[in-house]
Formats: sequence, structure tokens, C-alpha cells
Amino acid sequence: MADHQNIYLLLSAILFTIGCGGVLTRKNAIVVFLCIEIMLGAVNLVFITFSRANTSPEGIFMVMCVMAVAAAEAAVGLAIFVLLYRKTGSINIDKFNLLKW
Amino acid sequence: MEYALVLFCGIIAIATAIMVVVSRNTVHSALWMIGNCVIIAALFLLLHFPFIAILQVIVYAGAIMMFILYAIMMLNLRHSDDSADIAGNISMGRYLILALFFVGVVVLGIGFGPMALQGSMTEPAMMKFGEVELLANYIFSEGLIPFELVSVLLTAAIVGAIYLAKKD
Amino acid sequence: MFDYVWLIPILPLVGVMTNGFFGRRIERSNKKLVHWIGCGTVGLAFLVTCLLFLKMLGLEPDKRLYDFTWFTWMASGDFSVAIGYQIDPLSMFMCMFVTGVGFLIHIYSIGYMWTDEGSYFRFFTYLNLFMFSMINLILADNFVLMFLGWEGVGLCSYLLIAFWFSDKANAVAGKKAFITNRVGDFFFAIGMLLLLVNLGKHGVWSLNFSDVFSHASLLSPGLITAICLLFFLGCTAKSAQIPLYIWLPDAMAGPTPVSALIHAATMVTAGVYFVARCNILFTMSPLAMQVVAVVGALTAFFAATMALTHNDIKKVLAYSTISQLGYMFLGLGVGAYAAGLFHVLTHSFFKALLFMCSGCVIHAMSGEQDMRYMGGLRKKMPITFYTMVIATLAIIGFPGFSGFFSKDEILWKAFSSPSGNSMLWLIGVLAAAMTAFYMFRLIFMTFFNECRASEEVKKHIHEAPKSMTFPLIVLAFLSIVGGLIGIPAALGGSNLVEHFLEPIMGLGAGKIFQDAAGTAVLHEAHAAAAHASYMTEYILMAITSTIVLAGVGLAYMMYMQKRTIPETLAQKFPVLYKLLLNKWYIDELYEWNVIKPLHSFSRFLWQVADVKIIDGFVNGTARFFMRCGGMLRNIQTGYVQRYAVTFVAGTVAVIVYYIFVLYI
Repeated sequence: MADHQNIYLLLSAILFTIGCGGVLTRKNAIVVFLCIEIMLGAVNLVFITFSRANTSPEGIFMVMCVMAVAAAEAAVGLAIFVLLYRKTGSINIDKFNLLKW
Repeated sequence: MEYALVLFCGIIAIATAIMVVVSRNTVHSALWMIGNCVIIAALFLLLHFPFIAILQVIVYAGAIMMFILYAIMMLNLRHSDDSADIAGNISMGRYLILALFFVGVVVLGIGFGPMALQGSMTEPAMMKFGEVELLANYIFSEGLIPFELVSVLLTAAIVGAIYLAKKD
Repeated sequence: MFDYVWLIPILPLVGVMTNGFFGRRIERSNKKLVHWIGCGTVGLAFLVTCLLFLKMLGLEPDKRLYDFTWFTWMASGDFSVAIGYQIDPLSMFMCMFVTGVGFLIHIYSIGYMWTDEGSYFRFFTYLNLFMFSMINLILADNFVLMFLGWEGVGLCSYLLIAFWFSDKANAVAGKKAFITNRVGDFFFAIGMLLLLVNLGKHGVWSLNFSDVFSHASLLSPGLITAICLLFFLGCTAKSAQIPLYIWLPDAMAGPTPVSALIHAATMVTAGVYFVARCNILFTMSPLAMQVVAVVGALTAFFAATMALTHNDIKKVLAYSTISQLGYMFLGLGVGAYAAGLFHVLTHSFFKALLFMCSGCVIHAMSGEQDMRYMGGLRKKMPITFYTMVIATLAIIGFPGFSGFFSKDEILWKAFSSPSGNSMLWLIGVLAAAMTAFYMFRLIFMTFFNECRASEEVKKHIHEAPKSMTFPLIVLAFLSIVGGLIGIPAALGGSNLVEHFLEPIMGLGAGKIFQDAAGTAVLHEAHAAAAHASYMTEYILMAITSTIVLAGVGLAYMMYMQKRTIPETLAQKFPVLYKLLLNKWYIDELYEWNVIKPLHSFSRFLWQVADVKIIDGFVNGTARFFMRCGGMLRNIQTGYVQRYAVTFVAGTVAVIVYYIFVLYI
């Protein structure tokens, strides 16, 4: 079991990188959002792995929190997308540079 | 046997994740994401955390992904205006940074991971550890305040979402 | 009783405050109230001065020194400056005629400025401010407060010269006066600091007059000479002496009451007052005294020559003022402080009177100042005519009039005192002769013969209103009898002025300021003066009077009988005439040697040093950061993904760092 640990860690690194790549390259806001979920999943996997390895419950608890945060994020994020789409007719993130002053 | 199972699940997880990223169709992406969540849940199961695995399926695959599909449906996005996606105008710099990132994470993770090993690794101990009881004890003792705070966060998110999506 | 001295400066200040802050409103609702406030405050100040003066007369001469400290103005370490007033014969003497003549001129201004719409209150505000500053200057018990007054009168002078500032020439004249005075003030301030620092070396951190004078002997003679010369340079600017007299003729651009009050009677005598105040310092430095005397004599002479050919009635008077101030300095320079101050007093009477008369004339001539277009005003303005003749007789030193006594006293001292000599006397007498000539030239050109004005102007010629003629009559009276208080011993008088001022001057000062320096020198001087016989004085007096009368006669001949002579003379001696008409080209000299180089230097500082170097540096800094910002702003695109890329790149950097730390 314990010797599988590196496989888990490697797997989560790969998943995280894939999600990250999606975030950096995709223009569709919802897809970007999905990629963030992949990253969160990868992180969860790491937490679980270490929790297992250390037999400490904090990791598991952290996973629960991440899930809750993901849910909250989904709710608010999707609401924002809906609003954006209503106002501008697009959710292509390259069309918004509101962060520029 | 178990090793092969982990490997198999891992490959599927990577494949689904890649599919999520490269699918042109947003709905397809979302569906691939559900697959990914389920596979992650399977991995949790393989780590002897049945409760978390179930939670993963319910919350991710059940709730969040439904959410997203609803949103896609409401926005009526199919191929959308995402035509200029992935291809072309992404600079090589980003891929380079990604590659470096991956290498860095792997080196750091694999190299650093074993140092954290402490607990006993016997099968019964692991089985016992994965039970809900342990987690429940933790949540209602030490982790009580963070746990409650998470609930507050969820409430706030709901209120925010309603306020944003409301037709003004 | 003397505690009420603060009332004297404060009363005009009240006038400044009321008229300055509410003047526009007061003028709109009730114009008369403006001058009631303006004149009333000064009148009250005069009244207070009179009371204090009477009180002082009742005291023993040795006890006539009173120092009233109001509050500490500023303090720094051991050195502190108080707002304090010193009441002694000198300050009371000055204060009497400053408030008195000032009051009369305020009254005169009512008539003169009445038609000035909208700026009536402004005029009285400035006049009151001037009175306030001048009184501060006179009463101050330390150098710093005196300097404040000194600067204050300079400011008021500037404001009043440029009173009708919409005309550019007036504004320029105001600037000229101000800047010339600044030059003098600069040296004055240096002198003051030199005094402070060097006294401080001996542990006397004070600029109080009494402290300074009683410790003056601590300073080395060279230092005292330097200080005195610096002070005197300041005085040459304020009192229009060579080399800084150039501003006074231009100062005539201001309203005539201003010329009368500031540029004839009071402010320009501040330098004389100051030298007299510092007589202990000056007495200790024979060289400085010599410089004062020579500069005074030369100024008296050259200013008189400049007045000979001028046609502008006020400019002639301005040059005569400079000339008379030269006399005063001549008197001071030869150690006859009382004589100099006596001339200050009589001069303030007759010169104020002359200016006010000229103001009446200008008023009657609808603003015309050129004497060539006047004439024959004798019949039309009798009061002005008679008072002006009285003033003229006084200024030329006609026997019996006030100017005679004071001027003669100075000339006599210039001749007899140990620091004087016959050369100074001769210059003084020549200047007196010229004074007689140009003053009567003025009278003849203005009041006699036919009127040369245009028909339009002729119709408006009239006698001035009562508010203007009343001060004329008072001053005419004073011009006649004012000299009586200073009749010298040779003529059977007792020279009251000299005795009154004695406690503060020379010998007497030794009694008041313990340990005062230079007492020994003064003893000698006094003894020498006493030995001269009355006979010499009579002879000199007779010579002076004769020469003066000759000057009058010459003027009569040239401007009444054969009026072609001036023209013939001008044609015969074109060089001399041009030289005189152009004031010896002194202005041009300054223009080329001082102003032009300064101007081009300033231009250099402005266009090269400031615009290119300093501004270039400042702007360059700004531009540098702007460029940097311009480059950095490209990073801020507003696109989330680019931020994310940066973020990941940062993470990579952190990871690399950790890898290095953990594995290497």
C-alpha cells in the first residue's frame, strides 16, 4: 500500500498539471471552471494520500472543506457566468479585461 | 493486483482529465468531468476511505456537475464563441511554464513525500482508520470551528449566488 | 502713564483692521466713515503722544528713559526679542512730528483722494498701516522690532507708490522703490546679524538698544566700523542717499499725500533717525562718521544740481528732499546729531507743506505736473500760493524761518566740529544756494507770469477744498515758528532741541547707558565745539544768507525778467544741460552696470539653471518613472489568464527555490 504512495502523488501531479494547463489555455469560462475542479480533485488526492500515510484525520477533514469550498465556488462562479452572459452575450474570458484600471 | 488496479484507475483519470481540457464541446467537457470525479472516488476507495469516496461521488458528480450542466443549458452554449480556443494564439511560454511546473511538482512531491511517512501501515489499522467514526470524532471535537465556518461559507455562497443570478 | 505707549502703534493698527477688512462695505454705505476711522485713529495716536510728551517734559532729564516690554516676540536659547517700546527723548521727539504731520496729511488726503472711487478705503488702510509701521520703527526698543517697522514702511511705500497700479509706470516705480530698498535692507540685516553674533561672543545675546549700546565697547573698532557702514548702507536706501537714492524721484508716481507723508516728512528720515539712535556706535567709529558726512554732503550737492533743470514739479521737490536728507546726514556725520534731527523736524514741516501745496496745484491743474504748462496761479489759489512761499522761504533757509535755524546749525557744525571741515561746509553752502535757485524757479514758474495751460484746464483752476487748505495753514504756521525751539546760542536762543535730546545723544547717553563707550571721544568733541567763538558763526551765517539770496535773485532774473536766459544757457552748455536733465545719467549707469548684468544672470538662472537643470532633473525623474510605469503597465492587461500564467510562473520560482533548499 505504502509503496503505491508515489503513484498517487505522481498521478495527482499529472492531474493538477493537466487542470492547470486547461486553466491557462481554454477561453471558455465554464471549461476553465471545470479545469479548476480537476485541480481541486488532484489536491484532494494528495490530501487523502498523506492522511493515509500519516494516519491523521486532518487530511480527510481538509478534503471535506475543499469539497465545500468547491460547492460554494460553483454556486457563485456559475451565478457570475450567468450574469456575464446576460450582460454581454459571451463568457469568453478573453473578452473581459475588467481587472484593468 | 491492487497495484494494477491503482495504475488502471490512474490512467483512466488522466485520460478523462485530458478529455475535459481538449473537448470542443462544453457539454462533453462536463460529461468527461463526471467520469473523472467517479474515477477519483474509486481511487479514494482504493485508499480505504469509503466515506470520502461516497462523498466525492455525491458532491462532485452529483451536485456540482449537475450545477454546471444546468448552467451550460441555461446559457445555451454548445460550440459557443469558443472557436479560437486552444489552438494558435497560445504562446509557447505558457506550455514551457506548465512543463516546468509539472517537473517541479513531481520532483518536490516524490522527493519530499516519503519524509512524511509515519503511521503504521498494517491492513487492519488502515481499515479502522478509514471509518467514519474517526472523522466524526475529529469534526465534532478539534475541527468543530472550521467545520462550522465552512457551513457559514456555504450559506454566504448561496446568498451570493442568488443575489447575482437574480433578474434585477 | 508711560505704560499706555502701546496705544500709539495700536490705534493706527485698529484703523488698518477696520478699514482693511470691512473698508469696501463701509465705503459703499458711508464713505465719510472711512476717513473718520483713518484720521481719527491717527489723531488719537497723536493725542496720546502729546500726553506722553508732556509727561516726559515734567521729568528730570536723566530719568527720561523708560522701557516698556509688552511680550516676548521670539526666543531662541539665550537670545530673545520682545515687543517692547523705548520711550526716551529721541523716540518721543520723532513720534511727535510723525504722528502730528501724519495726522495733518491724513486730513489733507480726505480732500485729495475723495474723488477716487472704490479705492478710498484702500488708501486709508495703507496710510494707517504706514503709521503703524513707522511708529514701531521709532518706538522699538530693539533692532529686530525696529527692522520690522523698517520693512513695514518699505512695504507701505511700495503699496502707496503703486497705488494707481493700473498704470504700468506707477507699478514699475513701486517696484523700483521696493527693490532698491531691499538692497539696503540686505546690508542692514547683515549689519544686525554681525552685531548679534559678535556681541554673542562676549555673552551678550541681545539686540536691545540699551544692551547693545552699553556693551558696544566690547567690540573691536574695525568691527564697529563694518557694522556702522553696513547700517549706513541700509540707511542710504531708506533715506535716499548716494548710491541708493535713485528710487525716490520715481516714487513721486504715488498720490501726492503719499509723497508728502512717506517720501518727504517721515519714512525717508528713518535712516537719519537710525543713525542718531545708534550714535554711540557711530561715534566710536570716526571712519564711519566721515563716510556719513561725505556721503551726506555729496548727496546734498548732487541732488540739488539734478533739481535745477527738472520741469516736473514733484520731481523737483523729490530732488530737494534728497538734498535736504543729505544735509541731515552731513549733520549726523560731523557729530551734530541734534542738529540733524532738528533739520528732520523742520524739514518734515516745510517739505510736507511743499508737497501738499504741489498736490493742490496738481489738483487744480487737472493732474498736470509739468511746470512749463503752469503759471499765473497766484491769483487763483491764494492760500496755496502764500503757504507755498512760506515753505519755500523755510527750505532755502531765509533768516527767521525754521529752515534757517536747522540748516545753519548743520552748516556751522560742519565747519566747526572736529570731524567737520571747511570743504564740507562749502559744499553745503553751494547746495543751499542751488536750493534757493531751484525752489524759487519752481515758485516763479508755477505761480507767476501768464498761465500756459490749455483753455480746458484753465477753466477748472480753483482753490483746494477746506480739508486740504487747513493742513496747509497749520504747517505754514509751523514752518515759520518751528525753528524757534532750536535757536542756537549764538542768536540768543537756548537750543531747546539739543538740550532735549541730550540725554540720549553722545555725552548724556553715557549717563543713561552705564559704561557707554566713546564717552571720552565725545568729551573732546564737546570741549572743542564750545571753544569756537560766536563771531565765526555770525560771519558764516551772513555768508550763507547772502549766497542764498543771490540764488533767489538769479532765479528771479532768469524766470521773471529775462526768461530767455535758461534757453540760451541750455544752448550754450548743451553737455552740462543734458547731463543735469538726465540726472548725471546715474539711472543709466545702474541700468548698464547693475540691472542688465543681474537681468542676464537671472535669465541664465531661469532658462538654463532652473528650466534645464533643475526642472530637467525633476522632470527627468518623473519621466523615468513614467517610462518604467509605461513598461510595467503592459503587464497589467486585465486578462485573468495572463495573471494566472504569471501566478504559475511565480509558483515555479518558489518550487525551484524549495528544490534548491531541500536537495542541494
